[in-house]
Amino acid sequence: MTPEARLGELVRLRLGRHDTRRGFLKTALAGAAVASASTACDGAGVEKLLSKHYLKLTDEDKRKLFARIEAEVLARSGVRVTVGDPQPMAGVEFVHALDLSLCNGNRRCVEACARENNLPDDIRYLRVVEVDAGTLELANAEHAYDPELVPRSGKNYLPVQCQQCKKPPCVDACPVKATWVEPDGIVVVDYDWCIGCRYCQAACPYYARRFNFREPSIEPSRINPDQAYLSNRIRPAGVVEKCTYCLHRTRRGRYPACLEACPTGARKFGNINDENSEVRRMLERKRTYVLKEELGTVPRFFYFFG
Amino acid sequence: MSAGRLVLVAFVAALACEATHAPDQAAERPFAPTHEEILVEPRSHLLPTYPCTSCHDEREAQPTRRRLADYHRTRYDDLKHGDDAFWCYQCHALEDIDKLRMASGQLISFDEAWRLCTSCHGDKQRDFQRGIHGLTIGEWNGKKHRRSCTGCHDPHNPRFRSMTPEKPPAPVQSR
Repeated sequence: MTPEARLGELVRLRLGRHDTRRGFLKTALAGAAVASASTACDGAGVEKLLSKHYLKLTDEDKRKLFARIEAEVLARSGVRVTVGDPQPMAGVEFVHALDLSLCNGNRRCVEACARENNLPDDIRYLRVVEVDAGTLELANAEHAYDPELVPRSGKNYLPVQCQQCKKPPCVDACPVKATWVEPDGIVVVDYDWCIGCRYCQAACPYYARRFNFREPSIEPSRINPDQAYLSNRIRPAGVVEKCTYCLHRTRRGRYPACLEACPTGARKFGNINDENSEVRRMLERKRTYVLKEELGTVPRFFYFFG
Repeated sequence: MSAGRLVLVAFVAALACEATHAPDQAAERPFAPTHEEILVEPRSHLLPTYPCTSCHDEREAQPTRRRLADYHRTRYDDLKHGDDAFWCYQCHALEDIDKLRMASGQLISFDEAWRLCTSCHGDKQRDFQRGIHGLTIGEWNGKKHRRSCTGCHDPHNPRFRSMTPEKPPAPVQSR
């Protein structure tokens, strides 16, 4: 599809949704029969239009909402999934660390992340970039390197993903508060509240956010049924998404999928408040770097040379 | 792989030497501190030619260093570990070929190979024990499975081999 055609499709998609919502509200205000709006959308559609922001959902709301999402996925793809809502643990602040001396650019983390988080083929949260050895020069980084074998001599590899900033510019940019920082430091997106303006995507200095240009198509056999509302549930078209440190795994005590997939063991993950955690031991003993430190975003993602 | 063996290999509590919690510190940390149960994954059941005695029982051990012309020839020719003094019995035990021999003369199991590796590579040992070096999977706040050194590195040629990368990102999203 050409960029123009894609843009056209997108405009139709977005305008169509706004028309429906405006039409619905007008009808309701005029006191006319709701049925006229319902002709444009079924019962679930009305529920979607009236749904609340994640932070205002009651337990009962969540139960109904998650059941609806599960039913939708079942109807669409025939896969029985569970949508959970694991909460942040008290006193835990997640930090990810990556040993650049070990990363050889094999991209296993990229694909493991895609499987775990139900990503369609054109979206990847993680991107490994190839930089000249001895530099971390992002401006000249090669994103699409594709040699027979990695690592190439004279090159270093730098995986980049959401840095879960303490002062995230993306959160400030969102006009509808559809993205925010959770108490455990994970920046999340309420996909049902996102209006798809992509301001956050433009604001992120790490190119960490991705936009769903179309309804994601994932082969049913590749759908990960272990899902969470704020992380890897299958997103609708027209919303922004990003790495969530696999919160459906990590808030239940497990390591993120990218870490376990790394054949060189370059990734470390844990609670920075815990002085016995691997990340804390790393921070206390290694020379560490953060990307674009000068921007003052205070990332919760550290690079080090082991 | 035998489940019994996996259980038998004790959780290496000693590895988590830094994870011991003094009771007076516990009060300062209201959250659950890291409770590490680390299993360094045993490997001997994964080795295709183990036990070595299935052949070496019938052979007289020859302790002089020489180029191997027959069995293990490629392994010997490709040996890229240490200097010229290195050959089989630098690590393998002459007196019991199913074991490895520490510099002290102590014989250890293949499942504890990390002990032998780290007797030279002390810097890596410190990072390995702290969980900074090596692949650890499982729970960030609980049971961990840690790959032994030889789970990732070929002890005869420890440098990582080149790998085929996964496909590059789709060019759909603009940069």
